[in-house]
Amino acid sequence: MESSDAELVTRVLHGEVNAYGALVSRYRDRYARYAVHMLGNREDAEEALQDAFTRAYRSLARCEEPERFGAWLFRILVNRCRTSGARRVRRGRTFVHDEAALMRASQEHPAEQTMWREEIERALGELNADQREAFLLKYVEDLGYEEMSEITGVGVSALKMRVMRACDRLRSLLREVHSA
Amino acid sequence: MNRSSRGLAAMILAAAAFVPAHAQDPRIENRLDAPSRIAISALLDSARAQGIPVEPLMQKMYEGLAVGADGPRIVSAVRNLKVEMATVHRALGTVATADEIKAAASAVHAGVPAVELGKIKKQSGLRRSLTLPFTVLADIVSRGVPVEAGVNAIRSLVGAGAKDADINDFQRNVSGDIEKGAPPAAAAETRAKAVPAGKPESTKPEQDDH
Amino acid sequence: MPEWGGGRTTLEMIVQELQHPVRLDESFERRVMVRVRRLHAERRSRGWVAVASRVTHRPGWAAALAASVVAVVTLGLIKSRPESAPNNGGVGTAPVQFVLVAPNARSVAVVGDFNNWGLNDSALVATNHQGVWSVTAPVPAGVHRYAFLVNGKQWVADPSAPRSTDDDFGMPSSALVVEDSTR
Repeated sequence: MESSDAELVTRVLHGEVNAYGALVSRYRDRYARYAVHMLGNREDAEEALQDAFTRAYRSLARCEEPERFGAWLFRILVNRCRTSGARRVRRGRTFVHDEAALMRASQEHPAEQTMWREEIERALGELNADQREAFLLKYVEDLGYEEMSEITGVGVSALKMRVMRACDRLRSLLREVHSA
Repeated sequence: MNRSSRGLAAMILAAAAFVPAHAQDPRIENRLDAPSRIAISALLDSARAQGIPVEPLMQKMYEGLAVGADGPRIVSAVRNLKVEMATVHRALGTVATADEIKAAASAVHAGVPAVELGKIKKQSGLRRSLTLPFTVLADIVSRGVPVEAGVNAIRSLVGAGAKDADINDFQRNVSGDIEKGAPPAAAAETRAKAVPAGKPESTKPEQDDH
Repeated sequence: MPEWGGGRTTLEMIVQELQHPVRLDESFERRVMVRVRRLHAERRSRGWVAVASRVTHRPGWAAALAASVVAVVTLGLIKSRPESAPNNGGVGTAPVQFVLVAPNARSVAVVGDFNNWGLNDSALVATNHQGVWSVTAPVPAGVHRYAFLVNGKQWVADPSAPRSTDDDFGMPSSALVVEDSTR
């Protein structure tokens, strides 16, 4: 049976450093998505995520709720992405998505799908960092406003305003794109 | 005993209390003189401050103790290794792992310029560990393969996406050829061509997605 | 479902696209664990440095004394590390067989980074089979230097392994790279 976050954290704090690998494996892909869209490219995202995992290990004794290690790690990552500096979109890049979905998309509408992804990334890049962060947390990572407030330290009202402005901006940037 | 002497004695006793009783490794205590211990401790501090992995330096110290080297010689070895690791740390950048730094330091020790290792690292990026390629580079250069030929061989293997198993085979084949009398450069160049290409390494990340 | 008004379909599509999973390179976990293990090892030695930091520099007559005080404290600064067998097949180790053909040897041991060059580590004493000495031990992932110790006094490099170029002490040694078995 899979060990819980709390069990793994306890084992790491007792000196079993290799148990941390299970936590890395558990959360790396889940949080890579956020980092990639927030920072605009895979290299910066991997570096930010590595840093976040390293910082989390370094301050693991201060994780007050080991059973919520994931949320605590995510907070570290969100802060790390904030301090990462300017978002750099590598033109012409595609992002590695789920292999099956990518195959389906490329088979059905290959050029369109690639272009659509690039349009989205460009539009995301047009948002300011606060709006992009709020939008990704709310709609891509599917968090509630209370959770977002806990992670970002920003009040719920301010977060709602950022999400709304992000949506308006994205809508206006991409309004010429229609679904089938 | 006057006040100064009492103060002195008190300070020494107080300082001695900082040394935990269970700390004493007989190997260190019996075989490493105090100045050498202080010097090594300072080297470890300095390495830590520079972000250089400390473990290899301690392993170097233990190696010296195992072979019976004297304190100054151990200090010199640790210092040289620290300098080499600092050099490769700068050349490889912050993305290099501790193992890559350790392996790269061996290559530098063998005579490979750190800048060449940096170029290989830049070419490879985060896609693969260069610990084994750097280790093999150090090996073949130490067997007489000229630095340029060795660097070119390893760079072409990494660039072609050769797997670790292939690079291990490359090392065995080159060393075997040299032992049979082959010119080292020729052995390295020939065997590098024979390694099957894996998925080509690319400087353009998007090509990985196809 | 997003709460916005007009343009719902477009934004739904955006979210759907952005929610595609992103898979990281398989080596990501290994790279993180290399950093983490380094921190773990540094922590073990850092505890000793913290002792020295309590010794503050005192001016005047105790300045000369400070040097001797620091010397007394730092004598214990280099953290003792016991001669250790490699961790017993734990996560991140791989079994490695070491073999040396030495028909005339009376004893062969394997000594290296993975056991802190301990000479008394019974776990890495090779067994003899008609002049072929061998021992298999779990070795942590990473790059290691090692050598055979023959008859308790002669250091021999592993002829089947890459050479280690570190000749600081005038004895031959070999290099071993162990991949992380947890990947």
